[in-house]
Order: sequence, then C-alpha cells, then structure tokens
Amino acid sequence: MTLVGQASVIARRDLVIEVRGRHALGTLLPFAATVLISFGFAFGPGRDVLDRVAPGLLWMAVLFSAVIASRRAYQVESEDGALEGLLLAPIDKAAVFLGKAAAVTLELLALVLAVLVLVVLLFDLSVESPLLMVSAFVLGVVGLAAVGSLFGVVAESARTREAIFPMLVLPLVAPVLIAGVRATDLAANGPASEVWSWLGLLAAFDVVFLSVGVLVFGYLLED
Amino acid sequence: MRDAAVELRGVTRLFGPSPALVRVDLSIERGEAVVLRGPNGAGKSTLLRIVATALSPTYGGGSVLGFDLATQREEIRRRCELLTHRTRLYEELTARENLDLFARLLGIPNARVAEALERVALADAADERVRTFSAGMRQKVAVARAIVRDPEILLLDEPTTGLDDAARHVVERMILDAGAEGRTLVIATHHAIAPELGARVVTMRDGAVEANA
Repeated sequence: MTLVGQASVIARRDLVIEVRGRHALGTLLPFAATVLISFGFAFGPGRDVLDRVAPGLLWMAVLFSAVIASRRAYQVESEDGALEGLLLAPIDKAAVFLGKAAAVTLELLALVLAVLVLVVLLFDLSVESPLLMVSAFVLGVVGLAAVGSLFGVVAESARTREAIFPMLVLPLVAPVLIAGVRATDLAANGPASEVWSWLGLLAAFDVVFLSVGVLVFGYLLED
Repeated sequence: MRDAAVELRGVTRLFGPSPALVRVDLSIERGEAVVLRGPNGAGKSTLLRIVATALSPTYGGGSVLGFDLATQREEIRRRCELLTHRTRLYEELTARENLDLFARLLGIPNARVAEALERVALADAADERVRTFSAGMRQKVAVARAIVRDPEILLLDEPTTGLDDAARHVVERMILDAGAEGRTLVIATHHAIAPELGARVVTMRDGAVEANA
C-alpha cells in the first residue's frame, strides 16, 4: 500500500474514533464557544472593539482547540499501548504522521465552520472576501495540525506530557497565529490584495512542517 | 546454513542508569520454542521487546532471522509479532475494525480477518466495540491479530496473565498451533507451558541469563 493509502487508513480510523467518542462535538465546540463568549464579555459590548478583535478571537479559539485535538489524537494511542502497535507494524511511519495531521485538519475545519457562524452572530463580523478567508483557515489549520501531530509524538514519551505539549507547540505556531489573524482581518475588512503575502507565509509554514514531519516522524516514534 | 531465528550478542539495555539487561548472549533456532523464566524485573520483557525492535540495545547487537537489529528493523517487524498483556487495541473500534485496520495497512486479504475471529471464538462479538469487552476477550482479539499477521516469530510476554479459563485456553491453543506449524516461539511466563511444545527453558535473573537448558 502506498504512503497516501496508509495515511488515509489511519486518518479514517482517527475520525471514526473521534466521531464515536463525540470528542470534537462534545469538547472542542463547547470549549471554543466558551473562549469566544468569555472574550466577548471581557471586551464589553462596544461593537467597534469587537469588530477589531474578532479575527484574533477566532484564531485564539482555533489555536487552543488545535492543542486539545492534537493531544487527543495521541491519547487514543496511549490508552492500551496502541502507539507501539503502529511502531511495530511494518508500514511507512510517515503515514502515521500524515494520517493524524489529516484527521486533526478535518476536525478543526469542521470546528472553524461552527465557530465562524458563532463569530458572525456574536461579533457581527462581515466578510469582504469569503474565499480568501476560507483559504486562510485551511492553510492555517493544516499548519496547526502538522505541528500538533509532529510534537504530539514527542510529548507522548514524557511523563508530564499534558504540560509539555502546549509549551512545545504554542511558541512554534506563533507565525500561524500572526499570519492567520492578519489574513482573516484583511479578508474581512480589506484591502483583499494584501492577503496574498500572509497566505504565502501560511503555505510556506505548511510545506516546512509537513516536510519535516514526513522526514523525522519515524525517528521520533522509535525508542 | 540458514540464519538463526534470534541471535543476541552482548546485549545490554539501560533505562537511565539502571540496567535491565546485562551482556545477554542468546541463540534461538528457527522453529524452536523457548520459555523465558525468572522473577519480576529479571529482564524477560525487555529482552522480548528488543527482539521485536520495540527497544534498541544500549550496547551489543544481534539479528533476527538474519536481519540486523539496528539497521533492518522494518524487515524484522514484517516477520515478528509481539503479544503482551497490553493488547494495543482501539476501544472505540469493533474487534473486526481493529483487525481490519492492520490487515488493510499490511495488505492482508480481508478473508483472514473473519477466519481469525472464528478461530478465537469471537465471530459473534466481532462487531461490538472493544470497550465493552472483558480482559479475556481483548486478549482474544490480540491473538486474532497475531493470527491475521501470520508471523514467523511469535513473541509472547505473559500472554495468559489475568485471563479467565476460556481466554487462557484460546491463547494456549494458539501457542500449540504455532509450535506445530514450525513457528519460532519465545514466551516469557510464570505459568506452566504444555510439555508437548518441547520448549527450552532459559532462566533470567537481574538482567542476565542465569541458566540455558
């Protein structure tokens, strides 16, 4: 079976587990909604302030949800030593990385859709270029999922993994947060022509971390 | 001359400063059954995990079926199955889905999954989620996975610990069948092993081989 075939088997399995465990709907969505509503209260009822901070709030909710979703992707592997099963299976270990990143990406995109609706309703976010905004979220979420899936396996070997994982991931995804917020703001309020450079940064981030993941994941998974 | 099934030379494994294995030399012929005995902490599990390539030796080296432990891990993994009390199953998947997953990844025909579930008497519960299973049923699924993979070497780490009589019988049956089929077996256990297996007993203590007869 090809690398892509193996990755799709793993992605499908992760998604089936998530859907059956109702983790995405049961945990991520309420969490993201709580973050958004809490920030909404913190900034007060002023529409102009909320308009300005809406892209940042949106990305903060997505970022924290990405941390939770990526950790969860490895929790299911550690419950009964399943990660060792994948290590000992004679498959391309890069497929595990790509499969997990793909599953987390799809989960987060579903979450983004729900959160976007919430932000439009709560903060009255208007969107000048919806396609560019969608592109920003797709590219940003792929980057978040790639970093989360790569460092999830690093944190898995640590006893204090719950604390170590966010400390490893959050500084690294700062470029995604910055570029994502700027691209979302420009796609919402214009000028749309300036979005492209930020989308380019997000795409470059994705290429770098997907490539690094494919190359080093097998080594990280080994003893 | 064919390569030995397992050949370990001066294998030492440290966990931090603590040695789990100390200069272990061990040779196991193809088709041979070996039982590892010894108290808890003797190094039996570490030895099995090194042969399975789940762990690397800190010092020393060796080969499995002629493949080098350090440089040809994937070749070894293709031919070995490690069965432990940790069943490595996904709780939200059914027994059949757990087996299908590995069958699809390894390009194994789907018919073998159904056949393996029949052999461990789990055909009726095949479409139930593993999280509803008892420890014995989970171990049966793990045994079925080993049957699906059809390995040349079967490594078993306390495979019957905590199992009820029915599940223990399934595991013991699989061990006897594997022995009769000429597979190489390495079993770490405190329990009695059927004498018809004709297993060689290797006794370990404090990370070293104490007796090999």
